[in-house]
Amino acid sequence: MRSTSRGSALKKEKSKKYRFFQISRILSQILFFSLFLYLLFFTRFTGEDTIGRVEIFFHFDPLLGLTTAIASRTIYSAFWLSLITLGLTFLFGRVFCGWVCPLGSVHQFFSFLFKKSRLLKPKKLGQRGLSLKYFILLLVLITALLAVDLVGYLDPFSFLYRSFIAAILPWLAQINHILLSFVYQIKLLRLGDYWNQFLASLALNPIFQQGFFLGLLFLLALCLNLFRERFWCRLLCPLGALLALIGRWNFLGLKIKTDKCIDCHLCSLQCETQANPYPQEQWNRSECVYCFTCGSICPTAAIDFNFRLKSQSAPAINLSRRHLVFTSLLAIISTPFFKITPAKRRSSPRLIRPPGSLPEPQFLQKCIKCGECMKVCPTNGLQPALSEAGPEGIWTPIFNFKIGYCEYYCSLCSQVCPTGAIKELTIEEKINVRLGTAWVDKSRCLPYVLGSPCIVCEEHCPTSPKAIKLVRTETKRPDGSILTPLAPIIDLDQCIGCGICENKCPVVDQPAIFVTSVGESRSATNRFLLELLHKSSGE
Amino acid sequence: MKRRDFLTGLAIGTLFLNQSPWLKSQGSSLADIAWVEGDDPAAITKKAIELLGGMKRFISRGERVIIKPNIGWDRTPELAACTNPEVVRALVEMCFEAGAKEVIVTDNSTNAPQRCFPRSGIEAAAKAAGAKVLLPNPYRLKKTAIKGVWLKEWEVFTDFLEADKIINVPIAKHHSLSRLTLGMKNWLGALGGPRNQLHQRLDEAMVDLAAFFRPVLTVMDAYRILLRNGPQGGRLSDVKLQKMVVAGIDPVAVDSLTTTFFDLKPEDLAYLPMAKERGLGEINFERLRLEKRKI
Repeated sequence: MRSTSRGSALKKEKSKKYRFFQISRILSQILFFSLFLYLLFFTRFTGEDTIGRVEIFFHFDPLLGLTTAIASRTIYSAFWLSLITLGLTFLFGRVFCGWVCPLGSVHQFFSFLFKKSRLLKPKKLGQRGLSLKYFILLLVLITALLAVDLVGYLDPFSFLYRSFIAAILPWLAQINHILLSFVYQIKLLRLGDYWNQFLASLALNPIFQQGFFLGLLFLLALCLNLFRERFWCRLLCPLGALLALIGRWNFLGLKIKTDKCIDCHLCSLQCETQANPYPQEQWNRSECVYCFTCGSICPTAAIDFNFRLKSQSAPAINLSRRHLVFTSLLAIISTPFFKITPAKRRSSPRLIRPPGSLPEPQFLQKCIKCGECMKVCPTNGLQPALSEAGPEGIWTPIFNFKIGYCEYYCSLCSQVCPTGAIKELTIEEKINVRLGTAWVDKSRCLPYVLGSPCIVCEEHCPTSPKAIKLVRTETKRPDGSILTPLAPIIDLDQCIGCGICENKCPVVDQPAIFVTSVGESRSATNRFLLELLHKSSGE
Repeated sequence: MKRRDFLTGLAIGTLFLNQSPWLKSQGSSLADIAWVEGDDPAAITKKAIELLGGMKRFISRGERVIIKPNIGWDRTPELAACTNPEVVRALVEMCFEAGAKEVIVTDNSTNAPQRCFPRSGIEAAAKAAGAKVLLPNPYRLKKTAIKGVWLKEWEVFTDFLEADKIINVPIAKHHSLSRLTLGMKNWLGALGGPRNQLHQRLDEAMVDLAAFFRPVLTVMDAYRILLRNGPQGGRLSDVKLQKMVVAGIDPVAVDSLTTTFFDLKPEDLAYLPMAKERGLGEINFERLRLEKRKI
């Protein structure tokens, strides 16, 4: 086989070696995607106060490490793991994109489906469009320099986790709900019970505001694969751009054996990215994700990769100076727009952050909107913000106490935050953190309005002594008679703003007791009592 | 009716009555209510049941039993917000020893059940004893006629309707509305729906529920009792180590006796006299055969 020369009859035989590499790569993608799912499903309370490093995937992402470090001017040590990714990329190019990245695998899988179903017909595209991702990277880095952290919107890990947590898993929960209702309707009780217990043990959070919208965005990202294979990885991914820059001079080179090549262009057509293996001089090592599709499909086994310590550079990226200047200016000019928000002037009452959150400016510089805290929250109370935190805070976590509350003895959200936007807390530290303050709406509260007993908020108040005291209060009834029921009064010293009172209030639509952010421990300004300030600074 | 049928019916009826715990206790020397003090929660539970005549008095071979502890709160056992797991474990074991086919342990927790079940220690203890521990299953809720004076119908977990026998295992705690939450209040955990609206007439609701759920046995966990900040406490200083278990066939009597641990009288709790008036049991527990032991 090796002796076949161009003159003799060409032996059509694909390379077994590269077929093996290709299958290994697919297995690796399946493995890492399964790992992603495994860690995601175990991002829940499993009986212990502490949770393992279920967020570890994020720490292999050098882009997140870099941008949060730049934006917050602090280095988060957990990101040392991303040095491994950088080292691998420096040596072997974008193997991370091709073999590890779970979002890349999702895109690859859908590209494969679209190609098989002929919805996507591969075309030879040269370098067209490839530079877009570099501009996105530049935009993210420059805004980070100006202390606005936008990386979470397009970073592949943030995007994938957020989409799964706020849309895909709730979708799964809804499907299960539909099926389970059916199973119980047709009286398959044993199956239903078993299924329900299993589902309950997974503790999927089924409700997310904007879940529909975030799901649509994910669907849109998948549909991009109809236009080009791995559209996201080629054109949009800022992490891909960063790794492409690092891997420009990597040592894993492509070699086409000219004596075997029949100039069929199949390799360039089927290339997962736009690395253009053929002709060899145009092969772009910073676009190649080393999926080894080309090596595997080449009908004459003409393609070979080898590791040589003589580094060669990828072709120059076509970034015109005009575009670079334009992007930089766009970043610089647009950053101030993110600051036009009333949240800067005065704290938003509904901006209630998870326990352990840094003060708002630092929080925004670190939060990557990945949704890990929302996944682990045992009550489903943490939700992606829309307008509450201003434009930089879209999809950052806030509490919606109508959906769930902050569980007193739980600090899991602070443990899973990949960037330290939520500072890790022990249970002892957590129960002293104040998220906000509860207030009674006496115009809606039943004892104040009807004179009838209720006490539900007091019963649920988790602090000891309770922050809600029941005091006999005169209530005038509609007929003019006066009753003296026990009515809730907030002990402002004790309240930690956990929101269970609001969550459990029987006045369901707009609870008669509600929590606002004022008094939150993390803020020195969002206060109403001087004593509270002294109290927390004294601690 | 033929004479033969009548006689057969009579014979079957006599046999059936003979098996019923209430009649069994009449004329025998078995206690109606047992009150045991000791260091080991499981041992005092077992002793209390033994004083009542053993679990066989309540559970027959092949029966499906549901045990209803309080697993309402995300609290560990030493904070006395949920039933002591050792008490639950002892009961599960005894049910199986008495020949129960299946023992279910469940509660509709107030905090997230995925946290309450493990952190209360009840999930592990009951599972270790072989019980089926069920997280509250919304698909098993059924609008059920409670036929109470105030509470006409409500959503009830069908597990309670389908079980052959129900055992109530509450923990004795302070409660700001009903003063104490004992056995009768524990039935709120068998319900779904907007339970927080029951508080507007909580005493009436509790009596109606006690009339609906008729446990074969009530076992009051008073090993640790919660003196203040109920029903969930939060500090060890809210907890008193009482080291007692009260078991009885009369749910009102068990609740009534437990009030004395808090230096109260049954009459201090509005719902106990109401329950007596409805004929649900005796608040003057001293009228019953009471066995008191210390081990």
